[in-house]
Amino acid sequence: MKLSRVALLGMAAAAIAGISAGLASSASAAPRTDKCAGPITFGTTISATGRNSTLADRWVKMTEVFETEFNKDGGIFIKECNKSLPIKIISYDDQSTPATAVTLYERLATGDNVDFFLGPDWSAVSFAVSQVVERHKIPTVMSNASAANIWTRGLKYIFGVQSTAEGWSNNYFEMLKGLSPGPKTIFFVAQDNLLTKDVVAHFSKKAEAQGIKVIGSEVFSPELKDFTALALKLRSAKPDLIYIASYDAPALPLIQQMRQMKVKANGVHEIMTTGKLIRTLGKDAEGLSGELSWLPGTKGDYSELIERVLKGSDVDVMDYLWTINRLNAYLVMMQAVERAGTLDRDKVRDVLDKGTFKSPVGPITFHEGGISDVPAFTTQVQDGKAVIVAPPPVAQKPFIYPSPSWQ
Amino acid sequence: MNGSVKANTLMPLVFVAAAAVPFVTQSYGLAFSISLLSAFILAQSWDWLDGKAGYTNLGHFAFFGVGAYAFAILSSKGVAIYWGIAAGALAAMITALVLSFPLFRLRGNYFAFATLALLPLFEILAFNLTDITKGADGIPLSLPRQINLLYGLLLGGALAAVAVSFWLDRSRFGFALKAIRNDEQVAETSGIRIFPMKCAVFMLGSAFAGFAGAIQAWYLGYIDPPTVFGLDVALIPIAMALFGGSGLIWGPLVGVLILGTVHDLLLTHLPVLQTTAYGLLVLLIGRFLPGGLLRTKLLKKVPFLASLAQEHHDFAPSFSGDLGATPLFSPNARTEDASLVLDVQGVVMRFGGNAAVNDVSLQIKPGEVIGLVGPNGSGKTTLFNCISKVYEPTSGSIVLSGQSLASKRRDEVAHLGIGRTYQNPRPFGDLTVIENIAIALMFRGRDPLHHKQALVEAGRFAEFAGIGDKLSVRADTLSLQDKKVLEFARALASAPKLLLVDEVASGLTPTEVHRFIALLRAARDQYGVTIIWVEHIFWALAEIVDRIVVLESGTKLMEGSIEEAVNNQRVQEAYFGSKGEAA
Amino acid sequence: MDITIYLQLMIGGILLGGIYALVAFGLSLIYGVVRILNFSHGTLVAIGGILASLAYTDLGLPPYVSGIALVLAFGLFGRLFFQFLLEPLSARTPKEAEIGVVLVTVGALLMMSDIAAFLAGPTPKNIPVRFDPIELGDLILSSTQVYALAGIILLTVALHFFLRYSWFGRAIRAVSQDAFGATISAIPGKTLHGNTFAFGCGLVAIAGVLYATMFPVDPYMGFSLTVKAFTIIILGGIGNLTGSLLAGILLGVVESLAAFLIGSEWAPGISIMLLLIILVVRPQGIFGGKPA
Repeated sequence: MKLSRVALLGMAAAAIAGISAGLASSASAAPRTDKCAGPITFGTTISATGRNSTLADRWVKMTEVFETEFNKDGGIFIKECNKSLPIKIISYDDQSTPATAVTLYERLATGDNVDFFLGPDWSAVSFAVSQVVERHKIPTVMSNASAANIWTRGLKYIFGVQSTAEGWSNNYFEMLKGLSPGPKTIFFVAQDNLLTKDVVAHFSKKAEAQGIKVIGSEVFSPELKDFTALALKLRSAKPDLIYIASYDAPALPLIQQMRQMKVKANGVHEIMTTGKLIRTLGKDAEGLSGELSWLPGTKGDYSELIERVLKGSDVDVMDYLWTINRLNAYLVMMQAVERAGTLDRDKVRDVLDKGTFKSPVGPITFHEGGISDVPAFTTQVQDGKAVIVAPPPVAQKPFIYPSPSWQ
Repeated sequence: MNGSVKANTLMPLVFVAAAAVPFVTQSYGLAFSISLLSAFILAQSWDWLDGKAGYTNLGHFAFFGVGAYAFAILSSKGVAIYWGIAAGALAAMITALVLSFPLFRLRGNYFAFATLALLPLFEILAFNLTDITKGADGIPLSLPRQINLLYGLLLGGALAAVAVSFWLDRSRFGFALKAIRNDEQVAETSGIRIFPMKCAVFMLGSAFAGFAGAIQAWYLGYIDPPTVFGLDVALIPIAMALFGGSGLIWGPLVGVLILGTVHDLLLTHLPVLQTTAYGLLVLLIGRFLPGGLLRTKLLKKVPFLASLAQEHHDFAPSFSGDLGATPLFSPNARTEDASLVLDVQGVVMRFGGNAAVNDVSLQIKPGEVIGLVGPNGSGKTTLFNCISKVYEPTSGSIVLSGQSLASKRRDEVAHLGIGRTYQNPRPFGDLTVIENIAIALMFRGRDPLHHKQALVEAGRFAEFAGIGDKLSVRADTLSLQDKKVLEFARALASAPKLLLVDEVASGLTPTEVHRFIALLRAARDQYGVTIIWVEHIFWALAEIVDRIVVLESGTKLMEGSIEEAVNNQRVQEAYFGSKGEAA
Repeated sequence: MDITIYLQLMIGGILLGGIYALVAFGLSLIYGVVRILNFSHGTLVAIGGILASLAYTDLGLPPYVSGIALVLAFGLFGRLFFQFLLEPLSARTPKEAEIGVVLVTVGALLMMSDIAAFLAGPTPKNIPVRFDPIELGDLILSSTQVYALAGIILLTVALHFFLRYSWFGRAIRAVSQDAFGATISAIPGKTLHGNTFAFGCGLVAIAGVLYATMFPVDPYMGFSLTVKAFTIIILGGIGNLTGSLLAGILLGVVESLAAFLIGSEWAPGISIMLLLIILVVRPQGIFGGKPA
């Protein structure tokens, strides 16, 4: 079959145009025409696969359950429309990759035409996505993006709920002040990661300010499996306190080998003592102190809804330490939209900027730049179970110091 | 040939469509296109080293990261964006230059794995050289995010990459790469200096990768080690190039378009296991279509698609059959004095404890034809390899027309005027007859031709040798005899002073042998080529040689006329064993 | 710095290196015979470890039981994988065969890690068997690792004898040294290739189980493990199991010392630098015979 060149050219051009148009608008929702119709849509990405999936993979289900439960509770009341509207959260997997997240948020903005954004998580991804957010002027409440420089660029549409380095171990160090005789020396061990190193930097200063001398500070790569060298250094330094700033997985072999090498101290602290870590360490976990953002059973605003959501999606906050930040981000956004009384993005943004919002961990206000802080509770493993030991209002048991298990 | 014209006219329409994207689509389409263009630049630039030169660089993405970091470091210190991008490309190029030296000592799988190891290495360097790279903190950038400008730059880069591919297919440099891809040793003995060529294409590809990396850093506004050196993303552009078809000019583009779209569709339509689906696709292509999508038989039935898959081969107008009056090359001068063309003195070649060539000396005058004989394993081919510097002799000296070959590289020796054929013919298999000969013409030492002219002239050499009717045939599909003839033509095209012919008659019928002898005679008579011919077939030698040199176990047994050799008792013993009982 | 510290570091390194070597064994055999660079090798190790860990925590199976089951399962899987996905590629041109192998093994890597993460979750797991540490004065040895090392040495010895004296073993060595000659001697090439691949995968299963008793495994760690395994087989010489064991131990000791002297953050980079240097300076490895 002989086609004329013109015909061939025409066909090719049409095909290309068709593909591009199709891609641009595939499965998209039309932009909102009626301000009061249909569900209020929120777009987000979750790191269900890839490098960060250990922290977040269950959140996909959790988000779906949140949507169901929140709608059961009545959705959001929009004053402008004089009725309650249900919510719909569209989420994609960003594969823990910033470039993928950027493309997906672009799609959410102009392909799915969502009303508002939620998330993402993690500094690298959030940094990249923040530009998309700002360009499209769609407010978002991000979570778990603690890098300070995200928030110092004067962007107006990003807000974040996270546990920052500054607030992390505040309760722990406060508690240390009340011990007698108190610890005199401390050795810091940090995973080579932005957040963990920030935490160590901040609390090294705080330790010194409290009169606890910093006698060592080491950094290790998260890929490291053999900690003999590090354990030997700890053993010979003989500190009162060992403070480990690391995600749970890399800390596992470290603590196991510290035990094997008979490293001794009065207290050992790991800032992310998850349920997984405690379970896998078994007896080795005894006496380990740590931090937790929230524990089911703690009473607070929306705590009942949150517990329902967590139960319905089988998420254990002891294992998924960052969960409460993400859920708080959802709660804040919902409240902001309701308070604004409209789906107008700029009005919602203004409400976020100036307001104070309720959450199970207490009131959340956004500081300069859009960042907020969630204080953490201090925990300790006693008789194989993690219990809250600080701050005093919520403490379940007293803090055991010096820890017999580590001596 | 019309087919490739069709493809090359229509495929650029893709880029026209791409140029229209910022104006036609929503920002999602733009973001998606940016990711495609970035992947395309990576895939296309990767294929220059792989498809053209035959080296699989699995660490190509490392240069992307180097470019991204160079850009980010400079931009965070206030350097203007354009300089930053240029610096990214430059940094990648310099890194490639430095790495060339160790890496190109490797081949094949070893090269692939060494380059793969670059990625985790660079990631660790990025993590730990915190003074420069800020380590795990990453580098945030506060740059104006001019998306359209960024897109335009990427598009420009993509078009430049395509232009380079076209250029490589039609340039002398490209021919050198194709020769290297086929047979590095033969490329060298044809006069190509291979290391700078490999280094150059490596640097070229890296520059483009660095460029793409710099733009990516600008686009994301933030980089940290895992983002740009992560193993999880590093193999994707390579898989895309292989998916479409490595070595084809449109292969990477097809691969990027299809896999990039599939990736996006999977992410947005499949709730789980997107990577599994993606991996399955890659696996199936590897299993069933390893030549790439464009090379499948089914595709070749559709005219337009078949044209996409055409390997590029240069051609010349079919030869009219008239050799023309001008000689193929100016004959070697006959010198008045009796100066030697080749003076071999006491050459020894040891491998471990074994001396394959043990103190051999030989003097050859211009225009002579010398037969080199001896039983198997007597060191004939090894001697050839010493003369052409495939091996460096353990001791002894070799002088060619007064020039010592002592510290010369193979390509230098080829330039000085030594050509050779091989026992088992080694043509550049995936190139055509005419391209094979043209390469020798382009890279010879004496009066090298411009590549376009070389393609024309090559036809005359082919005709001279008797394969003028097979110019467009792929060399690896030729019959054994034709391959040998091609090798001869290719060797002759180097305009050599001295031609080393290695067992060219084995496997040929007597008629074919006679044909060869006629060629050798013509080379000597018309062009003054001196010939050393290793051969077992004595009657063939008898027709043309001036003298015979007999080797046995690496030493020269005797030198003299054929009659003397044949009747020499020691020679008989060497061939048939002692007692001379066999007839 | 007193001598016990260095001794401790060396011991730690040796124990660690033994595990590295075990991971490399399967790759060494497979590459030596079949000349296939299997990118999913490390991922297989990880999956073996994950399965063994799940068997331990959920089913209560002790490691040696799950080990045996996994060896059989992986051997079978390897045989089928080779038969249907890799062997048909040998009929193609060498270039296409090479590309095909890369794509197939990379695709397999992507699929296996994703499915593993999907079914078992991406969080790292291990087999928390623990024996009391052995103390020799100031030196402390992790008894788990000592047992593992003993097991690895036994395995190396067993493999050594197997390769030297059994028909299969000798066939493997013949093909490693001279593929063409082996064909002439009527060693059935394809079947041998397939069985070697299966054998290598069986070794991988053992490696995975032992690895998981000492360190956590997750679905995404495979690739960097493959890089390490390759470093070891290059250092030790292709097909040379004893060489791989020594190379693995050397690598472990170097990493351990480097972690102490230079800093733990550089330790993973040491193996790669070593690989690059060795590849360039002495491609046949420290202990090896001929280069690939």
